[in-house]
Amino acid sequence: MNPTAQTTEPGGEPKYFIRAEGITKVYSDGTVAVKDVDLEIHPREILGLLGENGAGKTTLTKILSGLLPPTKGRVVSPRGPVRFGSPREALEFGIGMVHQHFALVGTFTAAENVALSHRRPFGRLRLSEAKGRLEELMDASGLHVPLDVPVERLAVGEQQRVEILKVLSRDVDLLILDEPTSVLTPLEVDELFALLRRLKEGGKSIILITHKLKEVLAITDRIAVLRRGELVGDVEAAQTSPEKLARLMVGEALIAGKEAIELRTEELPRHEARREPRREGPGVLHVEGLTVRGDAKKIAVKDLSFDVYAGEIFGIAGVEGNGQTELVEALTGLRVPVKGTATIRGVEILGKDPREIYRLGVAHIPEDRWKRGLILQFTLAENAILGVQRWKEFRGPLSFLRWRKIREHVRALMKRFGIQATGPGAPAKSLSGGNQQKLIVGRELSKDPAIIIAAQPTRGLDISAAQYIRALLLEMRDAGRAILLVSADLDEVLALSDRMAIMYEGRFMTVGSPAGLDRQAIGMYMGGVVSASKEGA
Amino acid sequence: MSADAMESRLQASTVARRALAGLNPVLESLLAGVLGLLVGALLMKIWGYDPWKAYHALFVGAYGDSYGLASSLARGTPLILTALTFSICVRAGMFNIGAEGQVYLGAMAAVTVGYFSLPPGLHLIVGLLFAIIAGAIWSLGPAILKITRGVHEVISTIMFNWISHFLCYYLVANVLVDPIRGEKTISVPRSARFPILMRGTDLSYSLFAAVAFALVIYFILWHTVTGYEVRAAGLSPTAARYGGISSKRTMLLGFILGGMGAGLAGACIVMGLPPTYAEFSGLPQISNLGFDGMAVAMVGRTHPIGILVAAVFFGGLTAGGRTMQITAGVPLEMVRVVEGVIVTAMAIPELVRLFRFVWRRSSSLFAFRRAR
Amino acid sequence: MRKWGVWILVAAMLLAVPAFAGPALKGKVAVVLDVGGRGDLSFNDMGFKGTDQAAKDFGLQMTEVQSATAADYLPNIRNLARTKQYDLIICVGFLLGDALAQAAQEFPDQKFAIIDSVVDAPNVMSIVFRENEMSALVGALGGMLAAYHGYPYVGVVLGIEIPVLYHFEAGYRFGIAWGLEKYKAHEGLEALPNVGLLYVYTGTFDDIAKGKAATEAQLAQGAVAVYNVAGPLGIGDLEAITEWHNARGTKHGPPYYFGVDANQDYLGKGVHALASGMKRVDVGCYDAVKAVVEGTFQGGVVSLGLAEGGVSISGLQDLIDFIEFGIAGGALKRSEVYETVANWATNRAAIPYWIWEAVDELEKGILNGTIQVPTANTRDEMLAIRAQYPLTR
Ligand SMILES: Nc1ncnc2c1ncn2[C@@H]1O[C@H](COP(=O)(O)OP(=O)(O)OP(=O)(O)O)[C@@H](O)[C@H]1O
Ligand SMILES: [Mg+2]
Repeated sequence: MNPTAQTTEPGGEPKYFIRAEGITKVYSDGTVAVKDVDLEIHPREILGLLGENGAGKTTLTKILSGLLPPTKGRVVSPRGPVRFGSPREALEFGIGMVHQHFALVGTFTAAENVALSHRRPFGRLRLSEAKGRLEELMDASGLHVPLDVPVERLAVGEQQRVEILKVLSRDVDLLILDEPTSVLTPLEVDELFALLRRLKEGGKSIILITHKLKEVLAITDRIAVLRRGELVGDVEAAQTSPEKLARLMVGEALIAGKEAIELRTEELPRHEARREPRREGPGVLHVEGLTVRGDAKKIAVKDLSFDVYAGEIFGIAGVEGNGQTELVEALTGLRVPVKGTATIRGVEILGKDPREIYRLGVAHIPEDRWKRGLILQFTLAENAILGVQRWKEFRGPLSFLRWRKIREHVRALMKRFGIQATGPGAPAKSLSGGNQQKLIVGRELSKDPAIIIAAQPTRGLDISAAQYIRALLLEMRDAGRAILLVSADLDEVLALSDRMAIMYEGRFMTVGSPAGLDRQAIGMYMGGVVSASKEGA
Repeated sequence: MSADAMESRLQASTVARRALAGLNPVLESLLAGVLGLLVGALLMKIWGYDPWKAYHALFVGAYGDSYGLASSLARGTPLILTALTFSICVRAGMFNIGAEGQVYLGAMAAVTVGYFSLPPGLHLIVGLLFAIIAGAIWSLGPAILKITRGVHEVISTIMFNWISHFLCYYLVANVLVDPIRGEKTISVPRSARFPILMRGTDLSYSLFAAVAFALVIYFILWHTVTGYEVRAAGLSPTAARYGGISSKRTMLLGFILGGMGAGLAGACIVMGLPPTYAEFSGLPQISNLGFDGMAVAMVGRTHPIGILVAAVFFGGLTAGGRTMQITAGVPLEMVRVVEGVIVTAMAIPELVRLFRFVWRRSSSLFAFRRAR
Repeated sequence: MRKWGVWILVAAMLLAVPAFAGPALKGKVAVVLDVGGRGDLSFNDMGFKGTDQAAKDFGLQMTEVQSATAADYLPNIRNLARTKQYDLIICVGFLLGDALAQAAQEFPDQKFAIIDSVVDAPNVMSIVFRENEMSALVGALGGMLAAYHGYPYVGVVLGIEIPVLYHFEAGYRFGIAWGLEKYKAHEGLEALPNVGLLYVYTGTFDDIAKGKAATEAQLAQGAVAVYNVAGPLGIGDLEAITEWHNARGTKHGPPYYFGVDANQDYLGKGVHALASGMKRVDVGCYDAVKAVVEGTFQGGVVSLGLAEGGVSISGLQDLIDFIEFGIAGGALKRSEVYETVANWATNRAAIPYWIWEAVDELEKGILNGTIQVPTANTRDEMLAIRAQYPLTR
């Protein structure tokens, strides 16, 4: 694509909606996130934006949507250059962005958040109006969320939906979606895509960021690929393939062989345990009759019983917001359950605080990396010891922190997990979403735990990183660890689990080997259609 | 353009940007300070005083010679401590404005050493301990209310400040009163006073106590696990909880450490400020130290090292303000207006940051309320 | 600066030497005020006024330094002394005593004066007042008024219990007792009128609300007048008295307000302020400057009483003088002057003339030494005086 080409047909409507011209972004710490990118966004088009973690996707789209000023270059529309002082101005211009991490007011409900985004000068919150609009949109998009619960009480996936709805409600001309699908179920993804197609037909432009090549190829018309901030490809979707895209993303030189390419495409082969674990008596994690209340006082987990044994991955699939969050929080000491027992290696854990539970050999990858997993203002080094700050390795006499040791540890993590950052002293908020996730996963897995409770461990990771983490989980399983995997990514649960359950409204709809479940049935269970619940293991 | 040229240009600007990023807060403060000076100058001009002469007097009085510098440091000493009180709690995620009341009690506790005698050094140390303990105990009230009942610390510390205010009025007038001079408490005996550091000035060894406390706080916050936990809980209670950190514990710790600082500030006045080494009725020597400390904390970006610098600056404003009256003929009221303008300007950047942060933090508190 | 100082010095020599044959002057004086500061229409303002007047009369320059906090006292004095440009530094108020004691030692060549406190140094002139003398006059007036109007009590609201205030209380007690004797003699009674004293130390010199509350309590018990011996608290005292009258629809007559330090008779347009026990801080400051100019300055205690014009009970001339002072301070409008004087005169005229003559008689007695007014400087001395003049009912 040649950006300097004639872009307006003589007398016709402009060929592009907006165009990035020579955009470069250098962050204040010197990181060059985007380098001299030219990109056109056409009306009536869905553009896929691909790239590894830290490639600059979020940065670029933030610039397009007015959230960040570029260091160099400009954004132009057929009407001339555009400069947005704020996201609101961008919205008024017709550009809306759904963020990878959300910009919602936590204490407001979904409806209030939407109403807030519609606030006009001197206008009042039109709550009923916002609600009506939202209900319409929920039907149209297939995305459903509770409207009257403060959004901070919602699962991350639900919050993401609110965010999407919020932007959809603004009726924008260019809709930018930063990894919207990582938290959606396959069914929801289908419905969202159908909506996006309808929007496209209606003349809108859409930029979709995702790490899932299959999705990109399925819905987009054109695909732009970023590598380390540079635009390395701008191709018609119809004329490319997952392999070609992977090559573009990673760069020829870095691809060692065919195997590596495979790793970078999405095929997730079944990974059976080499040895069938011994499933006798209580597991490493033993849960019985667990009932947990959610934030809205509603029972979120209902009388749940199951075991996770050493040497297996027990997967929990399901639409987010069906009690997975509460289950994990109860098991990791973040939430006090109503009743039931849960033991880890025979020791009761309910009612204990997180530190005591960690001491039993638990690693916890939390689903919400901004709320739980990281302290954004802290540096990488500080974040790398969150939860293990009292370990002998990091703590010297008089409870002094051994910063040198900690920094060494961080460097090791950065190397092992491919975390892109300027160094151990970089603030966590300067990391790209995927790199933040890598930091958390790295921290937790390097604890050498007996049991890993992993909620959405690969959310936001690029393909190679996700595959690396998955491989690591499998490796740990094979080394005899017990793993509880909670994921909205059905493929992931299917591929990794030795046994899996599907959770709906606080209960397991079914528990069994993934091999014995066909997709159709899974879809039904996830929607709560089949009520034949088989509990326990 | 070649990729290499681009690369190297970006590299160069990278270095410059790094340097700027580090300098940012300092530059911001300086800019704000200059702005404050300009507004102050304008005000003086309008009311018919010579700004140039006034600022010259201010600067010379504050840092012009060793006497000025000593005066500035002397005035800055208690402010270091009260600024730390506020800062520690900000770092722990709280807006503690209770330093004021804790200073009062610290001063009262220190005065009580006048009732017994001990060998010189020991007497001083006992007095400091009394003050530190009194400050810490007084901070326990709001701490416990916060931890057990969720009472917001702004409200409880304001209340405790008033209680302390009246309690100490009473103590000065009736309990610790000097039997032959009813306007003041008994004086701290010579054996329990900080020696004067520079003859003919107010500067005493209490400066070292304050600096030492600042360094200790710095090391606790940035180099110990405990401090790490305090800061973590202050920035993100949810993530801290995930990290196995008890916010209740860190809040308590923040309050207590802060109370110790404030108590020490009270002691530095009655044990280290010539000539009377006592407090007067109406508490004219210790009033507002707590509140001024908040301003110092903000200019110092709630960082112990920043606070040391900011305290020297604030002490300078006061010391220089005195000479403004004498050599520039600017009346006290005007001096205070100008000081206020400068301080406000310099505190604004941090204040904005803080309010945003507190608003976010307390909005979740209100949501919690609403849910009930 | 230095050059200019020399110039002044030369000028001062040329002008001053032939006139007084006094010392070489540097041409500057300073007043240091305590945290009370300017604008009190009383103590501090008078200190300023007297020094300012002296500076004008003797062609000097004056610097005024206020103190933001008590921690500023010593630095303020030091800062002035360090310049070596001042002929005299006057500290207005006993709160500055400790600071001056220290500074006087550090700057032995600097001349200082202090009001209301005794600093024992050769370079400090300590100016104290015999407040007991004018308080006795006020007390005598109060005692006789209570008896005359048939009120059970005379009241006084004091500040912090410090020795200076003992002077007032001692004199007031003596005066009341003297007034009651006088009343008995004049009316030919069998026994002394049954009149007592209500007194309270509020423990503050700045909490106006406390003055008001204390006054209300005394009025409720039947005080014929309340003597303000706590500076600014008088505003609260007078407010209570005004409200008392308003609630009863009375305009003149008892209960009255007795002012202090400055002449406060014009306060509240003179409706209820009957008399003031004046302590002329301005006179003290003026005299100190004058002493320096005339070369008669000496360290040591200077005691000012009725005889020296340092204290007095207010009269018409004082009212007229201080009305100007009040207007300058914004407490009174020029348009209200006539009304104020008229109110004051009405109030005074309603009181039998012999009572005023009796007050004059006491004053003369004190002046010619036939009457000794007791005073107290310590708590023990005060207790002794309270025992001697219990004034209970
Ligand atoms: N605020 C910031 N300060 C400094 N560097 C930043 C900041 N935000 C992002 N970066 C850096 O810029 C680069 C690009 O980040 P960006 O968030 O755009 O990546 P991304 O393509 O969205 O990645 P991901 O898939 O992980 O979300 C990364 O190296 C990141 O560390
Ligand atoms: Mg991103």
